[in-house]
Amino acid sequence: MTAVPTLPALSEEAQGLATGPVEHPLHPEHTPTGQLSFGAFFQGVNSSTVWRSERSGSQIAWESFETLIRTAERGRFAAFFLGEGLRLREHRGVPLELDVAGRPDAQTLLAGLAAITESIGLVATQNTTYNDPVDLARRLQTLDLLSGGRAGWNIVTTDNAWTGENFRRGGYLDHEDRYVHAEAFVKVAQQLWRGEQIDHHGQHYDVAARGTLPRSAQGEPVLFQAGASPAGQAFAGRTADVIFSPHGTLAAAADFRRSVVDATIAAGRDPQAVKILPGAEIILGATDAEAEEKRIWVRDHQIGPQQAIALLEQYWGRDLSDFDPDGPLPDVEPEIEQSDVTRGAGFQFAKAKELTAAWRAEAAEKGLSILEFAREKSGARRGEFVGSYDRVADRLGQFAALGAIDGLNITPWLIPSGLDDIVDHLVPRLQERGIYPTEYAGTTLRENLGLPPVQG
Amino acid sequence: MTTPQNSAGAAAPAPVLAVDLVTDPAALPALGALARALEAAGIGALTLSDGGLHPVHVAAHLAPATTALGLLPRTDAVHVEPFHLATQLMSLDHVAAGRAGWLLAVEDTPEAAHAVGREVLGAEAAAQEAADVLTASRLVWDSWAEDAEVRDAERGLYIDAARLQYADFEGETFSVRGPAITPRSPQGVLPVLLADADRAAAGEKVAEQLADGRALDVDLTGLDLTSPDLTDPQAAGDQLRAVVAGELEAAVRGDGASAVRLVRLVGLDLSGDPQALAARLGALAASLREDDLVAPAPAAGTDLRAQLGLPAAVRDEDPARRADRARLAAAASTTEESR
Repeated sequence: MTAVPTLPALSEEAQGLATGPVEHPLHPEHTPTGQLSFGAFFQGVNSSTVWRSERSGSQIAWESFETLIRTAERGRFAAFFLGEGLRLREHRGVPLELDVAGRPDAQTLLAGLAAITESIGLVATQNTTYNDPVDLARRLQTLDLLSGGRAGWNIVTTDNAWTGENFRRGGYLDHEDRYVHAEAFVKVAQQLWRGEQIDHHGQHYDVAARGTLPRSAQGEPVLFQAGASPAGQAFAGRTADVIFSPHGTLAAAADFRRSVVDATIAAGRDPQAVKILPGAEIILGATDAEAEEKRIWVRDHQIGPQQAIALLEQYWGRDLSDFDPDGPLPDVEPEIEQSDVTRGAGFQFAKAKELTAAWRAEAAEKGLSILEFAREKSGARRGEFVGSYDRVADRLGQFAALGAIDGLNITPWLIPSGLDDIVDHLVPRLQERGIYPTEYAGTTLRENLGLPPVQG
Repeated sequence: MTTPQNSAGAAAPAPVLAVDLVTDPAALPALGALARALEAAGIGALTLSDGGLHPVHVAAHLAPATTALGLLPRTDAVHVEPFHLATQLMSLDHVAAGRAGWLLAVEDTPEAAHAVGREVLGAEAAAQEAADVLTASRLVWDSWAEDAEVRDAERGLYIDAARLQYADFEGETFSVRGPAITPRSPQGVLPVLLADADRAAAGEKVAEQLADGRALDVDLTGLDLTSPDLTDPQAAGDQLRAVVAGELEAAVRGDGASAVRLVRLVGLDLSGDPQALAARLGALAASLREDDLVAPAPAAGTDLRAQLGLPAAVRDEDPARRADRARLAAAASTTEESR
């Protein structure tokens, strides 16, 4: 294996490098395939997409989606992901103005994209809290049939009453009931897909229905899940085909694999049954130095002074506009009022005081300003792979050989050209190394992710 | 039958000729080819009736394959999450570059109700629910100004919240806060029509006040377009014309919500060769157009409102619903305190 020279300019976290020796195999019951699959995740909200660039195109025009998905398909990506909007993000009671906002309904758009693509999977994030299971299951099955067996469902949960203001039920679900509800919901969906009689009478709803549509080429949609919490992992072990929680380092990814394999075995399933495709951002250059320069540019354009202050305001819950973004973190206490938080961030209010104190200490110790601290936090959260084409290809080779991951779900930082260098420069290098498909394995998403035929 | 005068200036032009497709999964393999062939033959619009596959997604699937056809899913307004339905329909308008419409249906069957864990509402309540869902949908569609995405790098603003407004819809059975998660669609507010088949269930309020117009249903069930008698497209066109022109001439053209803006051919067996079917229906369209009984074939890029003779949607700005109202209120109270 190619030796990986140390790059002083890059943080270990940014490189996603191993922090120590990693056991092989990672889990006695798990056999690495040595292969990687890519997904492309069109975010449509938040600061990951750079919009202050002349090269930044429309976030809503059909042409943007068309360009992006055609590039992904040219690069043999297994899947194209779209997020779900339930309520426009707000900051201090006003729609957040600083970041990209405004996106289409995921499945409606994917139904259109199915008509112009042939092999790539089409995955919609759809929550179980503010959807009706029979309606959602039928729409997913429609997408699966329209695309010839290429649909996937990224199952998410939510519980806050603020989101509920757009929906019939309002805020009805307790935080701890999220997965109980989600699991019952998924079961109803599967019954519908299998043409079974549904007669569900549960804690949260009563449903009677019967599926009438035929099975798709892949049987039924592939199930994705992002929950990294213990409850989320247990749910994924029982239900999911693919998990895409982000983790920045090889060591963290290795730990996660072990725990997912444990959860899968505990659920009585094949230890290979659940694939792991962590969310990631890839920043490439012809040289390491060029990639690092680009990383700094991307980060500076993702998080400006206003976003940095707004990020802290989410956690402090109060107006911090008088603080200097180039100065130290605010020395005031947070006000943990629900009305002052950017909604949709999933933040636990009770932790605000503890967290802000820890951040103050961390920033002071590292000598980081508000702006520098916000940029560092945002990069760490996303999971970055930064470097020359060969360096990133080698690093991904390590991940694949160990079986820590089965691929990456890549968030492009520019729309619509953000996958170009990945497809033109990284993918061929991965193919040369024999760790990435040169052709699609089949016509369905299930086949292209290397998943076994659906049970049931 | 008497024909009431349209009110001055509100006369609907000749209606758009539409073909109804039932979203049966068996029809899937030929669907794209059929839509393209019908478009090439000069058909103005497709309506998508529910035959299993979700009509909104089928319409979205046909959008990239076509450039001029109006696409109108015929889908339930009652047993839905209004916010999701509104988002799906405005997303269809984005995908179809302004060619989307909604043929509002009201399903108050036990099956539809039980599938979402609700009880059958009864005719009156179902009609009221449909009216509320339609009103809420329009408020969601209209919540972003066309220029809400400002991309002002100087001020660091991607959107300007002052150019968004909440829906603030409060109905009897649900409420929707808004604004939309989706930017304003090409048409802004989608045209919403009511087919004759759905008129009774939709109730007076939708039919006579809220709808943008009526879809006149012409039932061609039992007509075999591919029968040997009709091998000549012209002969087929003539036979169809006799039926359709008769119904069109007999229909009360109406005005306002009742104005006939679409003629919908329903019950056709479309399972044959798409080119042959399209040739026959194209002959019908040409024949009807000779006497201006239906609107001209749409040009690529025409939005559906224009095709239907509806004026472009003008945004209804409501200062009380401005999305930056919390900031305005905070600024006002600060000014108050500092006095």
